[in-house]
Amino acid sequence: MFGEYELNAEISDEDVNIVIEGRGKTKHYKRNAWGEEIEKIIHAEGGKMVICPVEPVNLPKEGVAQYLLIELEKPFIIEPKVSTSIFLRFPVEIGVFLVDRRDVERIDLFSKVRRKYTLYGPPEKGVICRWWRSGVYDEADKTEKFVEGIIKVDIENDYTEWVELRKIVFGAVQMKIFYGDYAYMHARMKITGKSIGEVSFIDYKPKKMKRAIDIYLAKGMKKFEKKFVMEWGFK
Amino acid sequence: MINLLSIFTSTIPGTNIQIISMIEFIVVLVVGVIIARIARLYIRRILKDKLPGETLIAVEKLFYYGIITIAFIVALPYIGISLGGLLMAGGLLGIVLGFASQTVVANLISGMFLLGEKPMKIGDEIGVEGVDGVVEDIRVISTTIRTYDGIKVRIPNEKVFNARIKNYSEHPVRRFEYVVGIRYADDAERAIEIIKQIAEEHPLILKEPSPLIFVEELADSSVNIRVKLWAPSAAWYGVKMELLWKIKVELEKAGIEIPFPQIVVWEGKKKDENN
Repeated sequence: MFGEYELNAEISDEDVNIVIEGRGKTKHYKRNAWGEEIEKIIHAEGGKMVICPVEPVNLPKEGVAQYLLIELEKPFIIEPKVSTSIFLRFPVEIGVFLVDRRDVERIDLFSKVRRKYTLYGPPEKGVICRWWRSGVYDEADKTEKFVEGIIKVDIENDYTEWVELRKIVFGAVQMKIFYGDYAYMHARMKITGKSIGEVSFIDYKPKKMKRAIDIYLAKGMKKFEKKFVMEWGFK
Repeated sequence: MINLLSIFTSTIPGTNIQIISMIEFIVVLVVGVIIARIARLYIRRILKDKLPGETLIAVEKLFYYGIITIAFIVALPYIGISLGGLLMAGGLLGIVLGFASQTVVANLISGMFLLGEKPMKIGDEIGVEGVDGVVEDIRVISTTIRTYDGIKVRIPNEKVFNARIKNYSEHPVRRFEYVVGIRYADDAERAIEIIKQIAEEHPLILKEPSPLIFVEELADSSVNIRVKLWAPSAAWYGVKMELLWKIKVELEKAGIEIPFPQIVVWEGKKKDENN
């Protein structure tokens, strides 16, 4: 279902049905996903519709969180001065965009997965994060594309001691999402202390995948922060 | 031509100031105001994406009033007031004005301390002097708050500075509480389990800090369960409004009821019945 479509299309995949139709410049947009329906009227002279995964921090209410906290099902312990890569799963939110040469507008946002939020850090200065629990995998196994995407994390323990990870926090503003059959991200985590690490994203498009529309750039926001510093520990 | 020149060189009645000097004074002031406005516009354009809203406003104000003050000082000699004389006269005038405008000065100084200390910023939800609302503006003399029912309230900065300010937006999360009373005959552990489940299923009840739900009191008419939940400050009120009724409905579905206050009255036997 992820991909680009003309402004007259009917897309069905699993329990998701999206229809955009109409003669002339006025189009009717209808979406039914897992029983939730929405309808909109669109006036468009040209352009196309893009359906792609977006940063999973927008539902049920936008602006609440800008971070994704992935809690590991089992703690991951890493030796000092060693680098490795692991694969985690992240929740998928699906965005529908109207795109033309001048502008990008998101017209719909939906998701199949459970939403839950948490706080990373102390109540007076922590950050609110979308919460998700994931196993730690050695390779990118197949996922349910509307439920979970795959995030590869290159972990480098630059510290002089063993470090135990129970959670990793990713900044949504820095995310680079790609999609093909499933949603994919590639992150880097550099551990610099027993409870301090930097998490950033690698902007490299894998083969046979497309770059998802960046929801923050689509809103006209500029990205200044290049990484998120986990300063309140990994447990 | 000569007449025009004589008009310009003539003095304003009752003063030694020439009309031409007064015009020069006004021109310098007007130019200063224009430069200040242009500077404010450029600062807004350049720093709009780089500074948070309230800092940007403070920087704008600093430049705007700074340039106007400089223009005023530059313009003063045109009307025969030298800076040295002004400072001397200012000393005396300061004493007089100081007594006359104690409140204004107190507000001004409080405003400066408020801008420096930053206990709140524009857009924050606060409670001060018994007024709850959103901060609309923090000026040098006063602070403006828009209450939740849409009324604009101006509070002098001296009062704001000395008052106990509650800032509801400062922290990212906020806790709210309920007390849920159930019958003595009901299973309190089951009730706690149901409330925990409701909190777990709600996306905006935070996983951490975790909810705290426990039997707090064996009261006169009910067993009281205290429910303490955390939610994002931005969504706090909506969640609070939504959840209490949901708890009531789910408890009732499980056969657990919230009792009315009740008194058991024991009636003694009448004398006749004893006989």
